[in-house]
Amino acid sequence: MNPIDPRVHQALDGEISPDSLPPELRRQVERLEGAAALLARVPELGVERRVMASISRPAPTRVRRLTRWLVTPHSLVLRVRPLWSVALAAVAVLFAIIPVRETGPRLGQEEGIAQFVARFPGAQSVAVVGSFNDWAEGSIPMEDQDHDGVWRASVVLPAGTHEYMFVVDGERWVADPLAGRYVEDDFGRENSLLIVRPAHR
Amino acid sequence: MSIRSDPSDPEVVARVLGGDQEAFGILIRRYEPGLLRYATRMLGSGDAAADAVAEGLVRAYRHLASCREPARLRTWLYRIVVNRCKSHLARHATRDVSLEEAPPMADPADTEAEVERAEQVALVERALERLSPEKREAFILKHVEGMSYEEMAVVTGERIPALKMRVHRAREALLEALEEYR
Amino acid sequence: MNRRARTRCGAALLLGLVTGLMPVPRALPAQSVRARLEGRVPATSIPVIDSLIREAGREGLPTDLLVQKAIEGGAKHVSGERIVKAVELNIDQLRRAQALLVSAGDTPPVTPSEVAAVVWARKRGLDSMTVTQIVSAIPDERRGAALHAVADLVAHHFPADSAADLILAAVRQGMHGGRLLDVSYAAVQELQRGHSHSEALAMVQHQLPNVPAQPTPPKSSLERARRPLAASHGEPATP
Repeated sequence: MNPIDPRVHQALDGEISPDSLPPELRRQVERLEGAAALLARVPELGVERRVMASISRPAPTRVRRLTRWLVTPHSLVLRVRPLWSVALAAVAVLFAIIPVRETGPRLGQEEGIAQFVARFPGAQSVAVVGSFNDWAEGSIPMEDQDHDGVWRASVVLPAGTHEYMFVVDGERWVADPLAGRYVEDDFGRENSLLIVRPAHR
Repeated sequence: MSIRSDPSDPEVVARVLGGDQEAFGILIRRYEPGLLRYATRMLGSGDAAADAVAEGLVRAYRHLASCREPARLRTWLYRIVVNRCKSHLARHATRDVSLEEAPPMADPADTEAEVERAEQVALVERALERLSPEKREAFILKHVEGMSYEEMAVVTGERIPALKMRVHRAREALLEALEEYR
Repeated sequence: MNRRARTRCGAALLLGLVTGLMPVPRALPAQSVRARLEGRVPATSIPVIDSLIREAGREGLPTDLLVQKAIEGGAKHVSGERIVKAVELNIDQLRRAQALLVSAGDTPPVTPSEVAAVVWARKRGLDSMTVTQIVSAIPDERRGAALHAVADLVAHHFPADSAADLILAAVRQGMHGGRLLDVSYAAVQELQRGHSHSEALAMVQHQLPNVPAQPTPPKSSLERARRPLAASHGEPATP
């Protein structure tokens, strides 16, 4: 990180006038002030109704708060004597070597599992389309079981690189915002990119 | 003719504590835009920001009696929402990116100026995203929310010299990122 | 199992692991190209697209990618003209990739999967110098994962040369396949924790080869995994 001239900081803190700075430093001040101005856009969201509805309800009782705490996941730290850890590890190994009936699909050597997750509150349907299903809707429908707007699908796919998009309500095509990898689709848009690793590795 | 001005924060707080629940709506309308703007920039998602701000405001209502200086209500509200955003960031390793935040497809109906502005906003947002949460918070509170270092100290619980250092580092990092994207 | 058999099994498994990251594009028989395009792309453009793809196949280029691109265009309700242009563009990209591999030292004919690996890398924004550096340094199927790992880093604004150096260092320490993606993931994680790019690279380099693996999905979602349903033909969604 390159340090900025202290006079730039002074100007941005209102301690000196930017006009007193040489042009190069004044440009830095303008760049940063311009960036801040662009970030000053207020999002088109509103929470007033939601907040007023919440405060109209009576505050949760102590019992209800306790119940909520009990069912919410928390991280717990366990302190165990080394002798006990050895014993626990031995029990774990015993379970690992005794065959347990496996559930879930049988995967081929060149197959893996892809997990798709996306947030589309208010959507009626979401599907995954891509190079693995000839871009046809209907073969990989996603599910929103909790009706919280979070859609999921867990799919067995050939290992390798795949391009895909989501289709929302049968008409809106969207690249996966959580994909992290994108390529141009050569039709003026972007596809998300997925790398499926072989499950047997 | 007398002109009725908006009630001050201490007046509204007194009304709410006196039982006028609806008066809390005045405070929501007054501070919601800034709080949502801050939370959206910190969390990267409109949905997550709305959750953080709504939860923060409900909490503020329930603990309004503990606000010792109603004249400084703004910093008190920001403190609550800043902490909610920190909790959210701690729970989620990566920032949420919701559909609404994804770069919009260019609409042929947009004017050239609108498209250019949208591109500039996206560029600055990408540069901001590269900052650590502490630097991002410092830059947004100072330059977007327009707070003084004293106000920032109340909101974040940090000392002023440490905040100044963070703002300076944030400016340097942001300028570097903006230069890279140019 | 004797030692030789174990070694053979290990080599087969290794080959399976490293090639597992690469699709295996193939040259398709001509009649199946038309059959796959029927009802999915505008009928008037099928003869032109078919002809382009068959020509590409004769040059030893992977045609499956080209068929996929045409089908994608049809599904996105793009005009036949634009689909033809996209197929031509992709053929050009495949030819350039093939030429890059040959100039980097590969003996012709280069395999379709190698060509596809280079095309992906270029589409993801890697410059030809970086791609050449990687393919020259890695003479086998490990290239695919290495190229993706470098592209991951470059997408997060790591300098291309430093990104390539880190991944090549990982390869020299015996890492391959998905483990190279763990390396780029680890560097990005350090960046998101607030470290600078150079700090993140140094930290991960120091950890090699014991970079933590990316988190795997929970068992419950693995158990729920399903294969894609057979989709109805000719009913693409409207983009």
